[in-house]
Amino acid sequence: MLLELKNIFKWVTQGGKRIYLLSDLNFKVEEGEFISIMGPSGSGKSTLLNVIGMLDGFQEGEYNFLEQPVHTMKDKERSKLYKEYIGFVFQAYHLIDELTVYENIETPLLYKNIKSSERKALVADMLDRFNIVGKKDLFPNQLSGGQQQLVGIARALITKPKLILADEPTGNLNSKQSEEIMQLFKELNQEGVTIIQATHSESNAAYGSRILHLLDGRRDNT
Amino acid sequence: MIRNYIKIAFRNLWKDRTFTALNIIGLTTAFGIAFLLSMYALFELSYDRFHENIGSIYKVYTDEQTAKGTESSETNPIPFADALREEVPGVDKISRYVTGGTLLTYDGETFQVTSAGVDPEYFDIFSFPIVEGNKTNPISEKLSIVISRKVATAIFGKEMPIGKTVMVQSEGENVPVGISAVFENIPAASSMDVDVIVNIKNLPDSFYKNNLNNWSAHNHAVYMKLANGISPAQFEKSTKDFSALHYAENIANAKRDGAQADAKGNFRQIKLLPVEDQSFVVIKDGLLSVNKTLQYIVLGIAFLILFIASVNFINMSLAKSAQRLREIGMRKTLGAGKSQLFIQFWGESVIVFIVAVVLGGFLAFTLLKPFQTLFNTSASFSSISNPLIVFGAILCVLLITLIAGGYPAFMMSRMDTLQALKAKLKVNGNNRLRNVLMVVQFSIAIILISGTIVLWQQLDYLRNKDLGFNKEQVISFPINTKQDPNNVLQLLRNEFSTDPNILSVSAADNNFGLGRDGSRMRSVLGFDYKNRQVSTHLISVDYDYAETLDIELLEGRSFNRKYASDSLSVMINEAMVKELGEENPLNANLFLGDSIKYSVIGIVKNFNFESLSRGVQPLTLFMDGESPMGYVYVKVVPNNLADTYAGVRKVWNKIEPDTEFLGSFLDENIDRTLKRERHMTTMISSGSILAIILSCIGLFAISLLVVSQRRKEIGIRKVVGASVSTITVLLTKDFLKLVGIAFLIATPIAWYATSKWLENYVYRIDLNLWIFLAAGVMALIIAVLTISFRTIQAALKNPVESLKTE
Ligand SMILES: Nc1ncnc2c1ncn2[C@@H]1O[C@H](COP(=O)(O)OP(=O)(O)O)[C@@H](O)[C@H]1O
Ligand SMILES: [Mg+2]
Repeated sequence: MLLELKNIFKWVTQGGKRIYLLSDLNFKVEEGEFISIMGPSGSGKSTLLNVIGMLDGFQEGEYNFLEQPVHTMKDKERSKLYKEYIGFVFQAYHLIDELTVYENIETPLLYKNIKSSERKALVADMLDRFNIVGKKDLFPNQLSGGQQQLVGIARALITKPKLILADEPTGNLNSKQSEEIMQLFKELNQEGVTIIQATHSESNAAYGSRILHLLDGRRDNT
Repeated sequence: MIRNYIKIAFRNLWKDRTFTALNIIGLTTAFGIAFLLSMYALFELSYDRFHENIGSIYKVYTDEQTAKGTESSETNPIPFADALREEVPGVDKISRYVTGGTLLTYDGETFQVTSAGVDPEYFDIFSFPIVEGNKTNPISEKLSIVISRKVATAIFGKEMPIGKTVMVQSEGENVPVGISAVFENIPAASSMDVDVIVNIKNLPDSFYKNNLNNWSAHNHAVYMKLANGISPAQFEKSTKDFSALHYAENIANAKRDGAQADAKGNFRQIKLLPVEDQSFVVIKDGLLSVNKTLQYIVLGIAFLILFIASVNFINMSLAKSAQRLREIGMRKTLGAGKSQLFIQFWGESVIVFIVAVVLGGFLAFTLLKPFQTLFNTSASFSSISNPLIVFGAILCVLLITLIAGGYPAFMMSRMDTLQALKAKLKVNGNNRLRNVLMVVQFSIAIILISGTIVLWQQLDYLRNKDLGFNKEQVISFPINTKQDPNNVLQLLRNEFSTDPNILSVSAADNNFGLGRDGSRMRSVLGFDYKNRQVSTHLISVDYDYAETLDIELLEGRSFNRKYASDSLSVMINEAMVKELGEENPLNANLFLGDSIKYSVIGIVKNFNFESLSRGVQPLTLFMDGESPMGYVYVKVVPNNLADTYAGVRKVWNKIEPDTEFLGSFLDENIDRTLKRERHMTTMISSGSILAIILSCIGLFAISLLVVSQRRKEIGIRKVVGASVSTITVLLTKDFLKLVGIAFLIATPIAWYATSKWLENYVYRIDLNLWIFLAAGVMALIIAVLTISFRTIQAALKNPVESLKTE
C-alpha cells in the first residue's frame, strides 16, 4: 500500500463557525493505481490533493505514507518524504518564468544535491523522452500551454517519484492537448508510477483505473 | 547550484531594472557619501594618535578657582616644568612648548616659517623622527635649529642642509644659526605642526631669561610623559603640595576675592589632558573640556544615510516579494528548503550591495578632491587605511548587507507554501514594518532639515551680528618684516596719508578674528585694584585705534598725539568698568604690572575683540609705545573695496618687498573663525539633502508598487464614478499620514538637539516653532510631489485598460 487516509477532518474557522473542507474522509491508494478525483468546483479536490501531497495539514485523522505516519511527523521529515516520492503537476503549470525549460526541469535535482554530470544526463533523457530537446533554451512564455504542461510534467518526473499528483492538469488546455497529456499519464502509469489527478472531465477521468467522487469535502457515494 | 542562483539573480534584477536601478543609485550614493563622511570623521578622530607614546603623554593644564568660578589655563610659567619634575613623582619626560612664526633667510631668499621652542626631551615624548643630522640631541647647541624635511627641500633643494647657516630673525635682528638636524615631515593628523624647532632657551630674553624665576608670567604649554605605573589621577592628586607651594600668593588673592575651593578643597588643581584629546579641546565658560561631537555627528550622518538607503532596499524587496510568491511556492514544492531559499534571495541582495559598494567607492574616489577642498581636510583613503579601520569597514558593509538584504530574504523563505502558490500574501504584517521604517526615514530627514535651518540661521546671525566695530571697511595685515616694525609702520602711515581711498590707519599687537597668517593670541593680566584681584585682557594699540575701527567712545577721549603723557594712559571697555566696579571710571588709576600707574582716559562701548564663542571680556587698551605692533589696520572708503585692497598691498610690497602681504578684511577674518560652524552646516545640509533624496527614491518606488498592486481597484473605482482627485487623494493620504507621524516624532528630537547645540554659543538665535514647521512642510511637499508623480498618472488612466490586464 502506498498511502492511506483515515477519518480525515479538515476545517477552517470563520466567524466562530467551523467550515469543513474535508470531513471524515477515508481513502487507500495502492502502488501502481491511476485514480481520478471528480467533483464540482469547490468540492475539495485541490484541498485533498494538497493534503496528500503534504503541502497542507489537517486537524483530525491519520495519514500513513509507505507505512509511515505523516500526521505525527516534523516539517523536516515530511519535506524529506515528499521530496523523495512525490511530484506535482498544476493546472497553471507553475513554471518559473525566469528559468529556461532546461533549468526548470533541472531545479528539483538541484534541491536534491545531485551531481552536475548526473543532472545533465537525467535532464537530457527527460527532454528526449518528451521530444522537447529543441525547446530547452526557451523561456516558459515562449511556449504554448500544452508545451508548458509537458515541461511541468517532465519537471515532476525528473526525481523519479512514486506518486504524481496532478490538479486539473488539462484545465487550461484544448481537447487535443488534453488527450496527449492523458495519454502520457497512462504510459507513465503503465511504467509503474502511481497517479492521482483531480479533474472535471468525464473523459479524462476515464483514463484512470478508479474514480473518487467528492462533494462538499465528503466522499459522494451516490 | 550557485551558478543557478547567480543566473536567476541576474535575470530577476534585469527583469525589475527600474527597481534595481533605483536601489543601486540610492545605495551607491549612500555608500559613496558615507565613505567620505566617515573618512573625514575617522581622520579627525585619529588626530595625534600616531605618537608611539600615546596613552602615557599629556598636556599639563591647571584649573584655577576664581571669584567668577573655575577657569582652565593651558599656559605655564618658565620655572614650572623643571620644578614639576623635581618635586612631583611620576614625570618621566617633560618639555615646554611655545609656537611662533619667524623669517629665515638663506642665499638672499627669505622664507616665512612657523616655529616651536621646546626642551630636548620633546623628541623623546613625541614621535617626530630625526632623519638627518644629530639624532640623539638635536637641539643641544646654542644657535642651532632643527628643520622639517619640507623646509629643508624648500630652502636647500638637493643640498645637504646639515651644517649650513641661515639667518633667523629674532627681535628685529638677524642672527646666524646652524642647521643641526632635519625631522621627518609631520603627519597630516597632527595638531602640532611646525617647520622649525629650536631650544626654548634660545628664545629672546624677554621670553625666557627674564622669566627664569617668575611664576606669574604664563607664556607656554607643557607636555609630559607619565612614568610607568602611575595613573593620571594619582599624578594629579600628588601635585597638591606643589601648587600650594608655588602659587601661594595667587591662592591667597583668590581666597580674599571670594573664590570657593573645589570639591577636594583645592584652589589650584594641575590636570593632565591626554595628547590625543588636545585637538578636541573647547573652552566653555572658562572651563576646558574635550568635545568630539562634530566628529560623531558626521559619523552619525554617514550611518543615517546608509540606514535610509537600506530601508529603501528592504521596503522595495518586501514589496517586490509579492510578485515572486509563485516562484517561492513553486520552489518549495520542488523541494527547496528554507535555507536554500534564503541563500538564493540573499544572494540577489548581495549582488546589488556589491555593485553599490564598488560604485560607491568609485564615487567617493572621484569626489575626494572637491570634498577635501570644501572641508579643508587632508583626510584620504590612505590617511585612514590602517588594518583595524579597513576590517571595521568591511564588517560594517557585511553587516548592512546581512540585515538589509537578509531580512526580506528571511521573510520570503519563511512563507507558507500553499499561500505563496495561491499568490496570497499577508499584506498587513509587511505593511506595518514598511510604515514604521518609512516613518523613521522621514523623521531622520525632518531632523536633518530642521538642523540645517537652525545652523544656517545661527551662522547667518553670527556673520551679521553687530560686533561693535567696523568689519566691512577695515583691512588688517601682519607686519612681518626684517626691518624695525615701528619704522615700517611710520612709512606705511606716510604712504597711506596721501591716498584718498584710505580714511584712517592704526595698529595693535593683536588681530581681529583669524587672519590669513592663521595666528591668534591673547594677553590677560591679573592685578590688584582697591584690594581686590581683577583681571583684564590687554591690547596694546597705536593712535587712531578706536577711530579706525569705528569703536564707539562713550566717555572721555581716545589717545591723542597732543598729550605726551598718553603712554601712561589707558582706555577701557564697559565690561572693564564693571570689573572695576567703579562709579566714576574716568578718575580711576590702574597699577598694571610693576606698580606703574596708568590713568583711564576713555571708556569705549563693548566690542567683540575675541572669538564669538566668548562674550565680551574686560579689556584695557594701552599705548606705551614700546610693545611691538604686530598688525596694521587700514580703514578704506566703502566703494571699490577690491581696488583699494590691491592698492594697500602695493604699498606694502613697496615698503617690504621680501615678505608676502597677508592682509584681509575683518569680516573675512571673522568668517574664518566660523570655519567649524560652516563645515558643520555644509555637512549637515548635504546630509539632509541626501537623506531627502534617498527617502524620496524609496517613497517613489513604494508608490510605483502600490499603484501597480491597486490597479484593478483604481479601475473599478473609476468605472463606478470616482474622480481623478478622489483617487489621487486615496492613494496619497496613507503616505501623508506617515510623514505627519514622522513630523510629530522628529520635532521634539530636533528641538532638543538644536537647543543643546545652541547652548554652546554666547550669542545665539531663539528657536521657534516655525523652523520646525517649515522643515515638516518641506518634507511633506517633497513627499506629495514624489508620490503624485505616479498616482495622478494612475488616476488618469483609462479604467478599461486597468481592468483588461487582470
Ligand atoms: N484557506 C481556506 N479558507 C477558507 N475556505 C477555503 C480555504 N481553502 C479552501 N477553501 C474552500 O474550500 C472549498 C474547497 O476548495 P478546493 O479544494 O479548492 O475545491 P476544488 O479544488 O474542488 O474546486 C472551497 O469552497 C474553498 O472556497
Ligand atoms: Mg481546485
